Amino acid sequence: MEVTLKFILNGKPIEVKVPPHWTLLRLLREKLGLTGTKEGCGIGECGACTVLVDGIPLHSCLLLAPKIEGKSVETVEGLGGRDSLHALQKSFVDHGAVQCGFCTPGILMSAKALLDGNLHPSKEEVKEAISGHLCRCTGYQQIIEAIEAINKDVRE
Amino acid sequence: MRRQVGTDIPKVDALEKVLGEVRYGADLPAKEPLCIKVVRSPKSHAKIVRIEMDEALRIPGVERVFTAKDIPGKNLVGTITKDQPILCSDRVRYIGDPVALVAAKTSEAAEAAAKKVVVVYEDLPALNHPEEAFKLNGPLIHDKGNLLFEFHVIKGDVQKGLRESHLIIEKTYQTTWVDHAYLEPDAGISFLDEKGRVTVVCPTQNVHYDQKEVASVLGLSLDQVRIIQCATGGGFGGRLDITIQCLLALAVFHLKKPVKIVYSREEVFQVTSKRHPLTIRYKSGVKEDGTLIAVEVEILGDTGAYASYGPTVGIRSAVHATGPYHIPNVKVWSRMAYTNNPWSGAMRGFGVPQMAFAHESQMDLLAQALKIDPLEFRLKNCLRIGSETATGQTLMASVGIGETLRKVKECRDKANHSGEDPKRPFIKRGVGVGSMWYGIGNTGIANPSTAQMEIDPNGEVRLYIGVADIGQGSDTVLLQIASEGLGIPLNEVRLIRADTALTTDAGATSASRQTYISGNAILDAIKYLKQEAIKEAGLLLSMDEKDLFYEEGKVKARTCLTTSLPVREVAKRRGKVIKGEGSFDPETTRLDPRTGQGSPYATYAFATHLAEVEVDTETGKVKVKRVVASHDVGRAIHPKNVIGQITGGVAMGMGFALMEEYVPEGTTSFVNYLIPTSKDIPEVIPILVEENDPSGPFGAKGVGEPALIPCAPAILNAIADAIGERIYQLPANLERVLEAVQRGGSENSKHQAPITR
Repeated sequence: MEVTLKFILNGKPIEVKVPPHWTLLRLLREKLGLTGTKEGCGIGECGACTVLVDGIPLHSCLLLAPKIEGKSVETVEGLGGRDSLHALQKSFVDHGAVQCGFCTPGILMSAKALLDGNLHPSKEEVKEAISGHLCRCTGYQQIIEAIEAINKDVRE
Repeated sequence: MRRQVGTDIPKVDALEKVLGEVRYGADLPAKEPLCIKVVRSPKSHAKIVRIEMDEALRIPGVERVFTAKDIPGKNLVGTITKDQPILCSDRVRYIGDPVALVAAKTSEAAEAAAKKVVVVYEDLPALNHPEEAFKLNGPLIHDKGNLLFEFHVIKGDVQKGLRESHLIIEKTYQTTWVDHAYLEPDAGISFLDEKGRVTVVCPTQNVHYDQKEVASVLGLSLDQVRIIQCATGGGFGGRLDITIQCLLALAVFHLKKPVKIVYSREEVFQVTSKRHPLTIRYKSGVKEDGTLIAVEVEILGDTGAYASYGPTVGIRSAVHATGPYHIPNVKVWSRMAYTNNPWSGAMRGFGVPQMAFAHESQMDLLAQALKIDPLEFRLKNCLRIGSETATGQTLMASVGIGETLRKVKECRDKANHSGEDPKRPFIKRGVGVGSMWYGIGNTGIANPSTAQMEIDPNGEVRLYIGVADIGQGSDTVLLQIASEGLGIPLNEVRLIRADTALTTDAGATSASRQTYISGNAILDAIKYLKQEAIKEAGLLLSMDEKDLFYEEGKVKARTCLTTSLPVREVAKRRGKVIKGEGSFDPETTRLDPRTGQGSPYATYAFATHLAEVEVDTETGKVKVKRVVASHDVGRAIHPKNVIGQITGGVAMGMGFALMEEYVPEGTTSFVNYLIPTSKDIPEVIPILVEENDPSGPFGAKGVGEPALIPCAPAILNAIADAIGERIYQLPANLERVLEAVQRGGSENSKHQAPITR
């Protein structure tokens, strides 16, 4: 059995059929081909699957797909393109904030939600905003610097 | 051309990663792949009596259930000792050992069928403690016995050294299993390529090793197997061993259809290698003036059910047992025991992180007993140019340990944060130091890399290299080396990498070796490419090769300043590919099997960390406030990458020190295996000490593992400084810290008095 879902995906309305027990993560990856969102643990502990639902960062591995009916979902693919990089994407590249990169899409989404609601987050607020994400490579410092740098650009 | 070496260019893989375009194992496209799922042993030691699969095969969508009988070649893999079956045939040796493999049209069907495969076991007595491994009539894990490996390092006369010591301190240190916790669960695909080759695309640290094992398991020749590394979500040593490669290949070999596997996080925790738990008995002797004169060490490692990198950890922990200090009398005995525990393997440091915890704790204990500043004590004893190591190797160049200590000392002397917090008397503050040395590359064995560089008549410049970038940035750094060596801008050099069909063996991405060894192989290839270019240009210009030279991407004449041909022009006009094949194998000697004497590495990296901590004496919580991380990396080819390794190493070192403990049967997820988050990490102040090594590419050495190693010892020494009691077992979790605090508060607290003569 499948249900029909209508929602906004990366700014565009879509309609898709999905088995009701599928998670949003599975829908994105297996049906919609958006593999930028990652599964690191499947139980909401690592943050790699984070997407924005109506602007709020959520674990797409814990969210049943039918729950997003009528909502707006943003994934890393909607953040920017090769020629239209989001400031966060550029800053991550410039600050060496990407190592293996598996945690990167999820952290980018949480960082976007932070900056959308707070143009001038403090270092502690940045740390808090990404504290639900595990990164094993970077030790977070260059990620925090990359997010803080956006903040500085906005101030100037 | 803009200089490449020493420049923080954007990492070449960063853009596709921030766009979410890059494909890791689970993202790889395959045409209607079959899903495979492993049936695993719930027993730690048992005989397999029989396997029943009828019910599993009746589940709709199930194509086949494989057992050991389906393996056409050799059913044993292992990097050094081949003792690990792909599917167990008669016996299982740890909880998680693979017994059967289900292939089905959907992942749901594969999982359901895996649960329906009935394996009948007959329990065998299990061995779970390495110290019981050598008892008579105990369980035998492998037929050859429970001693996987032992090694000795013997220098001078340790008994004489101890007799002549003013002070002797002897302690026992204990570490536990640590998981790599790379964020990408193992996943990959396999298919027959257009040439009919069994092709596996997956995350890995060494495609050429994988190729040999897959070929051996399937009974195929190497050219019938192709391994391609996809984007790899971290490694840290955990993807040096075979994980999913042979399972995928086995299914494709029989079914001739594309297959896919995706491990769950629980499976990754259960079945991939771990850092070796080591028990280290450490005895140090020092003269009254603070000169170290003797070290006697006994190491017992729990290598678990299979060998993996046990011998490597055994030898490297012995060779590095002294720490970066000159000690004339040394005796080290290192043993690795098989047990029915999870198999231990390579994890960021190959035993050196555990040894550094021991030798740096000893250094602080000695300094305290002698009433010498711990940094001065280290400076007095540290290796320098001309020093002889415990294996009798004289260090000729690039010995930066002293400089890393001096840099850290400057920071410490500026701000000393020891003592109580006046506003919060239950908080004790402490400062600690940890140092390390690390030999770059494999220990006393050949570990060559090879590379090819070519320029074709269309002007395309290509670097072929078998190196797997696992996120640390080797693609970028090796391109920087190639670009600088060739005098051609980096974005004009195409990289072809880590595919056994297109590249030659570069060895593993391990032992912090790729910048140094593969970097040198690339420079060797460029040397030959330049010779070729000069020869071809000589033909074009009708000039003698001796009158020409190569500079900045051009062949130039010595006698005429205006005669200059871009190398790409030479290729174009000669209508041929100009290429160079290079290789590099560091200059080492095999260690004497009886005494461990020899030159195991061509170069060493050095580092010192200073940690500032706050210990909450009511809860046992340790907050690491700041880590000053001073590293001699040789020349930093890409300083920002080096700093990224250091900040990442500090976080992982902090996890090793305070929170990470894999518990067999207990650890299943990140809920019960804690790694540091953004709120746990300290401020990291990296300091690069660039003691260029003349044998390194542009003077570079390595940093991957050194970044982690000194951190835990520095934190443990800082805790001891804060609470006046020392913790001898990792991790220093809440319970152990509280226990130490209580020990400190009791009457007869002060640590066992050292033996003073």
